[in-house]
Amino acid sequence: MKGTYLGEFEELVLLTVGILYDDAYGLAIVDELEKQTGRNTMISVVHKSLVRLEEKGYLRSRMGGATETRGGREKRLYTLTAAGTKVLNQSRDMRNTMWKQVPRVVWDGGKL
Amino acid sequence: MKQGNPPRWAVAFFRWFCNDHLADAVLGDLLEMYDRRRATLGKFKADLLFILNVVQFIQPFAIQKRSTTPINTFGMVSNYFKVARRNMAKNKMYTAITIGGFSVGLATCMLIFLFIKNELSYDKHYKEGARIFRLYNHFEGPDEQKWANIQPAFAGVVKEEIPEVELAARLTQMRLRPSSLVRLEDNPENSFEEMLTFADPEILEIMETPMVFGDAKKALKDPQTVVLSRRKAIQYFGDTNPIGKVLIFNDEKSRPYTVGGVIEDFSTLSHFQYDFILSLTGMEFWPGEQTSWCCWNYTTYFRLREGANPKAVEEKMLSIRDTYLVGYMTEMGSQDVEETKLYHKYKLQPVKDIWLQSEIGDPLKHGSMTYVWLFGGIAIFILLLACINFINLSTARSANRAKEVGLRKVVGSLRKYLIAQFLAESTLYSLISFAIAIALVYAALPAFNHISGRTLTIPLTEWWLFPVIVLASLFIGILAGLYPSFYLSAFKPIDVIKGKLSRASRNSALRSGMVVFQFATSIMLIIGTFVVYQQMTFLMNREVGFDKDQLMIIEGASTLGASRESFRNELLQLPEVENVSISGFIPVAGMNREGYPFFKEGRSKIDKAVGGQKWRVDPSYISTMKMKVVDGRDFNRHLASDSHAIVINQTMARQLGLKEPVGQKITNDVETWEVIGVVEDFNYTNMKNPISPLSLIIERGGETAVSVRLKSSDIAGAIQSVNTVWNKFMPNQPIRFSFLDEKFARMYDDVLRMGQIFAIFATLAIMIACLGLFALSSFMIEQRRKEISIRLVLGAPVATIFKLLTGNFLKLVLVAFVIGAPLAWYGMNQWLQNFEYRAPVTSQIFMGAGLIAISIAIVTVSYQSIKAAMTKPVENLRET
Repeated sequence: MKGTYLGEFEELVLLTVGILYDDAYGLAIVDELEKQTGRNTMISVVHKSLVRLEEKGYLRSRMGGATETRGGREKRLYTLTAAGTKVLNQSRDMRNTMWKQVPRVVWDGGKL
Repeated sequence: MKQGNPPRWAVAFFRWFCNDHLADAVLGDLLEMYDRRRATLGKFKADLLFILNVVQFIQPFAIQKRSTTPINTFGMVSNYFKVARRNMAKNKMYTAITIGGFSVGLATCMLIFLFIKNELSYDKHYKEGARIFRLYNHFEGPDEQKWANIQPAFAGVVKEEIPEVELAARLTQMRLRPSSLVRLEDNPENSFEEMLTFADPEILEIMETPMVFGDAKKALKDPQTVVLSRRKAIQYFGDTNPIGKVLIFNDEKSRPYTVGGVIEDFSTLSHFQYDFILSLTGMEFWPGEQTSWCCWNYTTYFRLREGANPKAVEEKMLSIRDTYLVGYMTEMGSQDVEETKLYHKYKLQPVKDIWLQSEIGDPLKHGSMTYVWLFGGIAIFILLLACINFINLSTARSANRAKEVGLRKVVGSLRKYLIAQFLAESTLYSLISFAIAIALVYAALPAFNHISGRTLTIPLTEWWLFPVIVLASLFIGILAGLYPSFYLSAFKPIDVIKGKLSRASRNSALRSGMVVFQFATSIMLIIGTFVVYQQMTFLMNREVGFDKDQLMIIEGASTLGASRESFRNELLQLPEVENVSISGFIPVAGMNREGYPFFKEGRSKIDKAVGGQKWRVDPSYISTMKMKVVDGRDFNRHLASDSHAIVINQTMARQLGLKEPVGQKITNDVETWEVIGVVEDFNYTNMKNPISPLSLIIERGGETAVSVRLKSSDIAGAIQSVNTVWNKFMPNQPIRFSFLDEKFARMYDDVLRMGQIFAIFATLAIMIACLGLFALSSFMIEQRRKEISIRLVLGAPVATIFKLLTGNFLKLVLVAFVIGAPLAWYGMNQWLQNFEYRAPVTSQIFMGAGLIAISIAIVTVSYQSIKAAMTKPVENLRET
């Protein structure tokens, strides 16, 4: 199924939502991504992938946590769904399996 | 907020394009970022970055609407229709009036659509249509004139000198018009035929006539050949191939015609309609005729070569004019040479324009662009009237729907859904009306065909019919429903449910305006009807300068030959016959005509010519026609010198500048006559034109008809007696006669037709307007029931109540009259300009139309008013 494919950036966003746990909203995710990866991400890109991930069912959202700096506007707070944690696990498992299959000699810098 | 804000327009812009799901959250994020940046980067940079961020969000994911709860569209739409149906059933009268008015309006539009489509599709069927032209003369001088008759030699010269002309063919109806006798070689019984013409052989190729028998290229090649239409071939020869058989025309046994081919009947959508085409090959009507430049007797058609430019051909024809026509005129010493060089042009008319361009003089039947516009305009107006009924009734009754609107809004309906609901409702009305309208068209088509003189059919087999009807009904439904739906959906739930919305609904100014529009249209059409009929009566009863009643005309009399005088004498023996004259030159359209330039004797090379008619008559012509001799004397049968005498009409005397006409000599450059009398001007053409110069001479060659003045009141008996005499002389030719007054009336068929059309549309318009007024008034009165009852209780007499209720509507009709009457006056005056002789447009017409409109309106409104004024007040006041 097309919807189950997870892009690299999407995986990062999902992980960030997990890290932020209770306060994962657009701007916080941008900040956290910069902190973790050093990438400066555009806010529109983050929102776009949040919308996609919610459509795919890996995230769910609610409104809440208005502050004065936001002009009294509420945040859209995202949390991982069961499907979200599952797809992250799958992704990690797949990597691990693949890691294990790489012959040791590769890591040792051996030549053919 | 701590410090400053981003540009307000950027925020508004973002709110506008972003969907509800993200708008608040993202805007919050952006503002948070803005605050941070403002602190570090300053306001200007922060503003710029904010705008940049907003622009970055212009992406599908932010714009697309995401509905969290999907709407059950099907359920909702079916609910709309259910409510619409219940509303229709609840107010049966309003429903019937709306649908009735709508269907009548739509049926009218459909008929007119069929008519216009028919008019615009004439002569579109030729494969090479773009290359087929008819030649016409355009005199661009002071009295501009266009006519289609060309000199006999023209086509031949063009074929030799202008290479762009691929085919050229001429037509003439000389000796064949208005009708001819046709018979088989071995059968002496003649029949009358009217659709005959002489033509060059190429005409079959140019007109692309499909052949049933024979070859288009050869059928008319030989002299004395004829081509028949399929229907006539069947009539004369049955189902066999008639090629090689022989037909005799006008009993001229010495000139038999051999059938060279049979063509398919011409399409009814063709201007070109002939049943017999006689070959012009080897034909010469008088010695030297075919190469002469004297006379204008031929219609000429061209087919140009592919890619040829008609303008270039027109240019080249100018040089032909200068060499040949001007050459001929100079040779004859004409005074008009300079004028001809300056103003006379030969032009090409595309074949597809012939039907609708009736301003080029020719003897063909034409449609009229004026009718197309007039009909189209009327169609739109009638449709508007029907739409107005719908708009008026639905807004007037808005109070009844207000609660529904309020409740729908309270339970969460958006305005656009309400608009959709009301549009769906009006579309439903329009769909039902369309179905009824189609039935009406079906029923009315025969009558419409009779009046319009066409053969229209509903194009049931055309693929586009069904989609067009569905699209049109949707369009009309939306057109009529647009205003009501916006009006109704705008109610505020709170006002409605509190009952604040005044019961006598608002917006009566608009409604009044629409009633005024409806009645102004009706009044205009009524006035139009009156003026047309008045003009018709005026034309019929006007003194025309001769007595057109009780004059019997026997046509096809040329076959009498030498026995015509004894025929005349036997007729004179009959007690029913007062006088008899032998001449085909009769003062009504469709009879013989012969025009010449006239001069005073000896001045033909000096003066300008006076174009006039020369009618060949017999000595009893003036007395039979009962024309009035105002100067000099009538012809005398016993004076041999009268063979050089001429009687002229007053216009001829005036235009030739003859102060004392009697005794003067005039000439047409061929012969010279002495004027013995002046006859009072009489109308011999359609009264759209002024009387032109005319002269009468005693000369042979015009004996195609016999006029019989009857004196008996027993017309049927007189016809019987005349017929007996005719059969004695012409046993093999059925008598064909008509009466002059009937022929005269037929000249004004188009006026009569116009009158009928006006009358029908006026009736329809006033009917629709009255339906609307009736419904509107009954609704208004229903709204004021309590008020009326209280007035009655307080002692108002019934008459006062009646006045109160009808007064308002009367005012509207009066305003409509004030608007409609001047417009109608202007329009009808324009129409009357077509006539040289016109009945004055009197104030009685306007009074009459106004009275009719007002009395119809009063009758319409008063039924409900009286009913309201007569009900017992208790009944209305008792209920809550």
